[in-house]
Amino acid sequence: MSVPAIAASGLSAAYGTTRALDGLDTSVEAGRILVLLGENGSGKSTFLKLVARILEPTAGQLALEGRSLSELPRRETARRIAYVPQSVDLVFPIRCEDLVLQGRAPYGRAFSSDSPEDRRRARDAMAACDVAELSERDASALSGGEKRRVFLARALAQEASIWLLDEPTSGLDPRHRLQFLELLQRVHRERGTTVVFVTHDIDLASELADEVLLLSRGRALAQGPPAAALTPGLLEAAFGARFEARAGALRAVSTLPAGPQDRTPKL
Amino acid sequence: MSPRSAPRLRTLAVCASLLVAAALVGLTVGGVKLDWRALSAPGDAGETARLLASLRAPRVALAALVGASLALAGAALQALLKNPLADPFLIGTSGGAAAGAAVAVLCGASPLLSPGAAFAGALVSSVAVALLARRGGRLDLHRLLLSGLIANAFFSAVLLGIFTVGSGETARTMLFWMMGSLADATPGRVAVLLPYSVAGGAALLAFAGRLNLFAVGEENAAALGVDVEWAKRTVFLAAALLTGAAVAFAGVIGFVGLLVPHAVRAAAGNDQRTLLPASALAGGALLVAADALSRAALAPGELPIGAVTAAVGAPVFAWLLLRQP
Repeated sequence: MSVPAIAASGLSAAYGTTRALDGLDTSVEAGRILVLLGENGSGKSTFLKLVARILEPTAGQLALEGRSLSELPRRETARRIAYVPQSVDLVFPIRCEDLVLQGRAPYGRAFSSDSPEDRRRARDAMAACDVAELSERDASALSGGEKRRVFLARALAQEASIWLLDEPTSGLDPRHRLQFLELLQRVHRERGTTVVFVTHDIDLASELADEVLLLSRGRALAQGPPAAALTPGLLEAAFGARFEARAGALRAVSTLPAGPQDRTPKL
Repeated sequence: MSPRSAPRLRTLAVCASLLVAAALVGLTVGGVKLDWRALSAPGDAGETARLLASLRAPRVALAALVGASLALAGAALQALLKNPLADPFLIGTSGGAAAGAAVAVLCGASPLLSPGAAFAGALVSSVAVALLARRGGRLDLHRLLLSGLIANAFFSAVLLGIFTVGSGETARTMLFWMMGSLADATPGRVAVLLPYSVAGGAALLAFAGRLNLFAVGEENAAALGVDVEWAKRTVFLAAALLTGAAVAFAGVIGFVGLLVPHAVRAAAGNDQRTLLPASALAGGALLVAADALSRAALAPGELPIGAVTAAVGAPVFAWLLLRQP
């Protein structure tokens, strides 16, 4: 078996005294799409932030292609890992093109102007994400969906081999949701990008994922291909709600008094 | 629409021209009318040249350095904290610097050590305010301003205490620090201030690119490869150094660090690689011009420079606060 793109063992993290991840073991093979599912606060976003080096783990190991993440230079990891946050509160005005150009920051020098090469890549990325016409607009005044696509263009300009996406489709209208998914699948196919994707959309997970990781209270509840991980029983344990298949898809039909299960039926 | 970042060189050229123009006004204005023809005439240029070299030029140079230091520190703090209201005066750094310098004078330390003592005071204040303003691991906007208010109140109390205990000469010095003044400019003081300003300024300019990423958010900077803890420490230290040095020689002069970056940002966009150096030049120009105004208005007396900047700055600050969402 090849070295996984990302591998976590015993990974733990906390916000102050609140434990967010509690000894998570997981891995993603290069070029695969891993979808993270779990209730709010189960540690999905925390895992992305640890991989993006926004947070430091309190315990455990995180490896990028077999090398310990904490031993790699930060700029090098930023050239290989792109992070698209769920939402960004922009205080200062910034042109969309300048925001996309920030994706080139891990390649530039401290005080240099953006090179023509950087500008070209930013323009191409914006065209690919259907936001070329926004390039002169102030990003702080965009709608949520537009902002999302601009940040996606930035990830494209960053030329990273791993994408971390935190609920990238929430708040998108059907057309832009579809457009986003087509774009993601195209990039994934053409560049072999490894994708780690947080969502609450179970249909989307089953459609897109090579593998699904179900998280509950900071631990892995189950990991496997959608057909194996997305069963009513496991979903019930993860979300604390009863699931039934309706019109070919699993739907939560009632909540359970006990909430999500603490300990796990493993696959 | 946000303004497209104006070309860096053009923006810097405009700000540099403002500084040169302000300096020419600053050299000309004052209690004694200069005889410029005497300066260019062969022979008896003595009196005018002496006046320029020993009084006017050091004063203009001090105003330029102090204005540049405060504006640069303000601009960098605004980007670092993702907070357009950050300013060394409002968040208590200047107050801490003044108290530090005053304590050193009370203890009989050499004036050469004043910048060091002011830097130490600025640092203590910065750290205390940052700790007070932290909530859930991040600096909160409202808590930051409130913490600055608390720090300012505390350091005013320290200054007033020293003011009461100290001799007549010390009391005069205290007043100077609390109100801000450029009246004690000498070539020697400018020479001592210069290396502090250059060191702090160079450190901040080296972080300009990374500050662009901070202006979108600290997580943003981290995800794009910035060592955020190292960057925060360096920028805080450099801003405290600039503020401390400025306060040691000119007292507490408020609002320069708030107004100048705002004006430059509105005119030339928020690219820190342009904004930081342009703010330094424009801050120097503003303080030189304000100083010339304060000398011209009541000649041969003068208004305290801190009063001039506060009279202009406070209403603008109020307007900015009202515009905050």
